[in-house]
Amino acid sequence: MSLLEEYWPAGLGALALAAVSLGTYLGTGRLLGVSGMLARLLRPRETMRLARSERGLTDTEALARALEAATRAEFGGGCDAVPLPPPPGVTAAGRPLPASIPRPPWAALAVFAACTALGGLLSATLSGTLSFHWDLGPVHGRLFSEGPTSWVILLLGGVLVGFGTQMAGGCTSGHGLSGCSRLQPASLLATVCFFGTAVLLSLLLARIMA
Amino acid sequence: MKTTLVLGAGGLLLGFSLSRIGFTDYGELHGMFIFADLRMLWVFAGAMGLCMLGFLLIDRRLFRPTRRVHPGVVPGGILFGAGWALCGACPVVPLVQLGEGKLAALFTLLGVAVGTLLYRPLHARIFRWDTGTCDS
Repeated sequence: MSLLEEYWPAGLGALALAAVSLGTYLGTGRLLGVSGMLARLLRPRETMRLARSERGLTDTEALARALEAATRAEFGGGCDAVPLPPPPGVTAAGRPLPASIPRPPWAALAVFAACTALGGLLSATLSGTLSFHWDLGPVHGRLFSEGPTSWVILLLGGVLVGFGTQMAGGCTSGHGLSGCSRLQPASLLATVCFFGTAVLLSLLLARIMA
Repeated sequence: MKTTLVLGAGGLLLGFSLSRIGFTDYGELHGMFIFADLRMLWVFAGAMGLCMLGFLLIDRRLFRPTRRVHPGVVPGGILFGAGWALCGACPVVPLVQLGEGKLAALFTLLGVAVGTLLYRPLHARIFRWDTGTCDS
């Protein structure tokens, strides 16, 4: 089948990426952002500790009960006629606000990371391109040579990607997809900056190494 | 449990489609950056448009500006863009590449991990601006 041998046409690719972004929001209540997930995945102990303390805050019913009990203890009974306001983190209609949705637990982040690699394995297997090699193909080889020199470039590039996405507060998914599609000014600015820089540097590299 | 299942399915679809789109192929990505091949640009423009439509249908409040334009947005974006041109990877890509058998992505992944962990202590000591969230 040609969809497994050739790269997908733009429409199908767009549909798949939008399905991941919208599906993640609908399924978890939180917007997809890989760099943030990666940062939490890399700090397992902290992520697990935060999840424990967050659970206590996001159980809004328990919070409302505790507030009511404290109010009764302070002012006595007799306030049954007064309806309780909606607890924090919930709109008047009782709908949870996105920020009040707990972050994915560490194990879910680990499953996500493992599944992205599994997706790559599945794609390479089905398209018959699975092979193990230590280079990134002829174009990367022409620009940065192969072997240790190219590995240093990959390491350096990776550090810039990790550092830059944390500094900007998002990457291609968080700013590029989840942010730009909601017209967030910070995301539009970040996307212009990272895409523009990648274009300029690539044009420069292509010219120098031509 | 539901979150784990959703993120597992989402990760699988993300990894598979990024690989089928050609986003994990350095040659294909470089071709997009030098505008030799516009196909992947249309992938992103299309995905953005579909997401916008979807978020509009789900809840218009999602369009309220919540993300702060803090002093790290521009320099962070520039550093990320430079790294992206060098290693061909946004943060999820080295994981997908490893699945495809591209072992060189181990170096990219190590770099991304180091860069990610390096930022927060530097932010706490030097940059210190308000990012508008509790996330690092």
